[in-house]
Amino acid sequence: MARTLSDRVPVFLDRDSPLKPDLVLVLTYLAVTAIGLLMVYSATAPGLEARGIDPTRELKTQAIFVVIGFIVFGVVSSIDLTEIKGLVGPIYAVSIFLLLLVLTPLGDSEGQAQRWVDLGLVQFQPSEVAKIAVVLMLASILAAATVPLSWRVVARSIAFVGLPAVLIFRQPDLGTMLVFGFVLIVMLFVSGATLRQLGFLAIASIVLTVGLFQLNLIKQYQIDRLTGFIDPDAHSLSLSYNQTQSEIAIGSGGLLGKGLFEGSQTNLQFVPVQSSDFIFTAVGEQFGFVGSVIVLGLFGVMLFRLLMIARVARSRFSFLTVSGIAAMLGFHVFVNVGMTIRVMPVTGLPLPFMSSGGTVFVAMSAALGLAHAAWIRRNMTIAD
Amino acid sequence: MNQSVRLGVIGVVFLSALALLTLRLWTMQVTEVHAYEDKALANQSRIVFTPAPRGDVYDRNGVKLAGTRSALAVVVDLALVTSSDRDLLAQNLSAFLDTPAASVKESFESDSQGGLVTIAKDLTDAQATFILEHREQFPGVNIIPQPIRTYPLGEIGSHVIGYIGRPNEEDLQREDVKGTDVVGKAGVERSYDAMLRGTEGVIEYQVDAKRKVLSLASEEAPSAGGSLTLTIDSELQAQLQASLKDGLVQARREEMAEREAAIADKSIAARLAEALAAAQAERRAQDAAATSDSTDQTTAQAGTEDDDVALPDEPVTVDPAEVLASLYPGLPIDSDGVCVPVQRIDIPVGQTGLLSGREPRFARVDSVADDGGELVATISIGLDRYTVGVNDSFAGTVQVLALSESRVALYHRDAWCPIRSVGVVTDPNDGSVLAMASYPAFDPAVFVDGLSDDQWAELGTASAFQNFAIQGVYAPASTFKAVPYVLALEENYYPLDRNLGDKEITDGADGEPNSPPPLLRDTDEYLCSGEFKFPLSDGSIQTKRDWRWPRGHGPLDLHGALQASCDLYFWDLALRLWQERRDESGIDKENLLQEYARSFGFGEVTGIDLPFERSGLMPDAAWFREEQRNKTGRVRPEGPWVGGDLMDIAVGQGATLVTPLQLANGFAAMVNGGTVWTPRVVQEVRDADGNVIATFDPIVDHTVQMRPSTSEKLLVDLQQVVNNEERGTARVAFRDFGRGRELVGGKTGTGEVIKAPRSDAYRQADNAWFVGVAPISNPQWIVTVVVERGGSGGKIAAPIARQILQYLMNGPEGVTELAPGLDAD
Repeated sequence: MARTLSDRVPVFLDRDSPLKPDLVLVLTYLAVTAIGLLMVYSATAPGLEARGIDPTRELKTQAIFVVIGFIVFGVVSSIDLTEIKGLVGPIYAVSIFLLLLVLTPLGDSEGQAQRWVDLGLVQFQPSEVAKIAVVLMLASILAAATVPLSWRVVARSIAFVGLPAVLIFRQPDLGTMLVFGFVLIVMLFVSGATLRQLGFLAIASIVLTVGLFQLNLIKQYQIDRLTGFIDPDAHSLSLSYNQTQSEIAIGSGGLLGKGLFEGSQTNLQFVPVQSSDFIFTAVGEQFGFVGSVIVLGLFGVMLFRLLMIARVARSRFSFLTVSGIAAMLGFHVFVNVGMTIRVMPVTGLPLPFMSSGGTVFVAMSAALGLAHAAWIRRNMTIAD
Repeated sequence: MNQSVRLGVIGVVFLSALALLTLRLWTMQVTEVHAYEDKALANQSRIVFTPAPRGDVYDRNGVKLAGTRSALAVVVDLALVTSSDRDLLAQNLSAFLDTPAASVKESFESDSQGGLVTIAKDLTDAQATFILEHREQFPGVNIIPQPIRTYPLGEIGSHVIGYIGRPNEEDLQREDVKGTDVVGKAGVERSYDAMLRGTEGVIEYQVDAKRKVLSLASEEAPSAGGSLTLTIDSELQAQLQASLKDGLVQARREEMAEREAAIADKSIAARLAEALAAAQAERRAQDAAATSDSTDQTTAQAGTEDDDVALPDEPVTVDPAEVLASLYPGLPIDSDGVCVPVQRIDIPVGQTGLLSGREPRFARVDSVADDGGELVATISIGLDRYTVGVNDSFAGTVQVLALSESRVALYHRDAWCPIRSVGVVTDPNDGSVLAMASYPAFDPAVFVDGLSDDQWAELGTASAFQNFAIQGVYAPASTFKAVPYVLALEENYYPLDRNLGDKEITDGADGEPNSPPPLLRDTDEYLCSGEFKFPLSDGSIQTKRDWRWPRGHGPLDLHGALQASCDLYFWDLALRLWQERRDESGIDKENLLQEYARSFGFGEVTGIDLPFERSGLMPDAAWFREEQRNKTGRVRPEGPWVGGDLMDIAVGQGATLVTPLQLANGFAAMVNGGTVWTPRVVQEVRDADGNVIATFDPIVDHTVQMRPSTSEKLLVDLQQVVNNEERGTARVAFRDFGRGRELVGGKTGTGEVIKAPRSDAYRQADNAWFVGVAPISNPQWIVTVVVERGGSGGKIAAPIARQILQYLMNGPEGVTELAPGLDAD
């Protein structure tokens, strides 16, 4: 069927199209993003103002990424996942290439980790792309496999996750590695892996972790972050400082919060990297328990919708892709929020759609777009 | 399990995860919200304490003894210094303050008060201005006024005033003390610390996460502490300290005089005189030359002529230490030309050092070897050879202080050299202390900036920081005879009449037949011969000798016995108590003497308002049995408590121990008719505005029932000790007293510390005591002096007390030169 350019308009904007958008998913996406922008502004404005800089600077930067992210979400939503399936190989290859690029002199370091690629105009985090690439690659492998899964398929899945994981480990980025692991387990589980296979995977990952420690391949600061989480007093000001301040911010928010722009922890910059990794503290302090639960609720609804979409997906590939995306988003939310309230160690995973940062927002929007695309075309009966 | 079920499982996982987060949020934001709110508040505010000026200390006449002045301090606010700037700042400060950069950095690390670190105290105005004008080179540096403790009179009264310092573990137990505070460590600075300290000011700032100050939240000004008015008279105190110092030097000079016969062909005095004559001759020659020189110059410099001509009249001095050093190389002789009781000597390996002492001993360091990681030195002293490590003591008086491959530092004690003099002046009518000191003393100001190692070595080894008037315990010796004296009069109890001329007792110890009858009156005479023989329970005969042996005192009654300090009279009194301890009277005669002593405050702290007071010891039968049982070695190992022990107690020897203040307080009670005061040094506390907030009235600890005649008789006899030209043991010391000698009384005492072995010429080191009372008609002052290892009380201690009594009776101009008194007990 030949296509004209007009076919490419986002389907949900086309009133005549039979392909209706998932309003609940889109609305929660918009709501979380809007709250995120507000929080980024409240967390950055006092600091910028104090330095005599335009207090809306960070907000404006983030808003540009949000616009780009919306466009990407719209475009990806209108894609037919069947078309994507053929591109999985190249996407995976490109993301591996980008990950390799990080380790070259082109890679840019921030703190103790090297996670960025400097492309002149924009800096860019290839690991975010790799998350989507891994989901798609696993979906493609597992969609082609027969149920019950053979050990061979499991091995292949591990291999395809393992390659980018090793590259990311070299950066190093423990958080993203954990995302890969969780996505792998969830996708193997929903695609019908046996309990024995999952058990093997669990044992293997334990062996791997112990091995990494034994070979001193894990850096001291990563160990400290993990132990700092368990025993905050031992690392008073230095290591668990972020987490301590983050806890104070959220805890002191109380039931209803201190009110927008009224948070002392936020206004006086007590929480480091608040606008990115610790954006949830701005919610907790300013809007309290009620606000926090509303934000968690929005994510809950979003995840619920994703699981619903997965259930009604028209193909096994779509089903697996959406499951993988749900796993990825869910893991981010749980680990990120958990980190701010000392339920999880500090791993540097952002809160989707809320943390400031361009690559993250655009990549997460693209991922959500993929799931949305699966919803829009759920009724088209095209054989895989 | 189909896909939907598996998705459901994932859904449940998500739901539980979200539930877990919600639960944790509930705990934090609802259940424990207050704790977090407090932390958030504490985060935003920074509290800075401004020290309160410490209250002043005045003497009874309003002379300031301790005060506070404001000084400029360099305080670094580390919150405002980025870590990269720290090294630079440390360098700038070290260059500016002329201190090592390492020590400045160390102070940064200490960071005790919320990031505020005091780097230097007491800047000059010029220094402060320089820092303020060059702020960019001193980021985070502030110039802040801080109170500094001052002691205008230096060493005068230092043992009563005490000193201040950083709190130790024990001080920190107090609720009002923080680690950064300054607290009193001794003296009234310690005992009245809470009143002196005041309340520090609190400034609260609002700060951001970088601890940058945003605004002032609240400010509370510090309020100064209360000031103390002491009972001390600073002029009397100064006289006491001068006399104690001169008295100790005199005691040491006497010691040297005894030594010089043994080690020099020519007397020390002769050598000093020669050196002085030589120096004077040289000076005259120089002056003659200088005068002729200046005459040439005066033509150009008119008007200076007169000054130049006046020069030759200046006194010429020589340093005795320099003159005498060639006599005894290595022997420690201080600038007064006298022995020093503690000596530090540094000997290179293979060389020899001279240890001070009556007979100088040579210490040779043969070698230093490494013995399993620790250095060990082989040292020969005379024919004896010792292998010792750091801190080991050997040869009785020597200790190793430090060891290196090439040298050995030794600490040596010259046990025969008088070590310390202690004095206290009290008012027997109200228990107030008018003056109290021990020498060596210290200037409390040394603690304000912290002690240097040299200061510590010098003052610490001499125990200069301790107030020996309340912390030193000594056998009271013959001064204690006043107690059995009072007992005799009160109980009408005198020694047995052993037939004048025959002191040998042949009867049994436990009151067997043919025991002679006792003397009946205080005026009955008793033969005070030179020695006293009495049988032990095993039948053998024990001999005790009077201090005057081989001579005796002749026949004396109770009064004469006290005046002449006859040992035999009081020994025999004690022996009678012992022999009659199990008679039918029902009186516990075994402990009667000790009960009398206790009633006058012996064996217990007096309760003076100064810290670290010691209780001394008044040993009784129970104590002896206890010591025996515990095998402490403080009493003889074989046999129980015996009559000899009680006899020793009667003359203030044996295990008896008193503090000088205790003795003074006991004498006060005996002469004032039985009132035992709780001594005190503070009479009044005023707040910062001068209002009296506390007055300390005289406190009567208890009253001893005694006949007025007893006190009167005691006073008469004390007067005779000083005035009786025949037998008064202090008569020579007070010969040149001047006006009012007849109104002065006292009691000498000589406490054995070391007794030389029999082979040695009869010689011992004694603590010299004197307790003076004046005016006899109506006692106003008790003057108590002890010179540790000084010699006899009549010779060494009485002259010191004489100067104090001259000052009290006749004013400063009445004080005459110090000179040794009669060598009498």
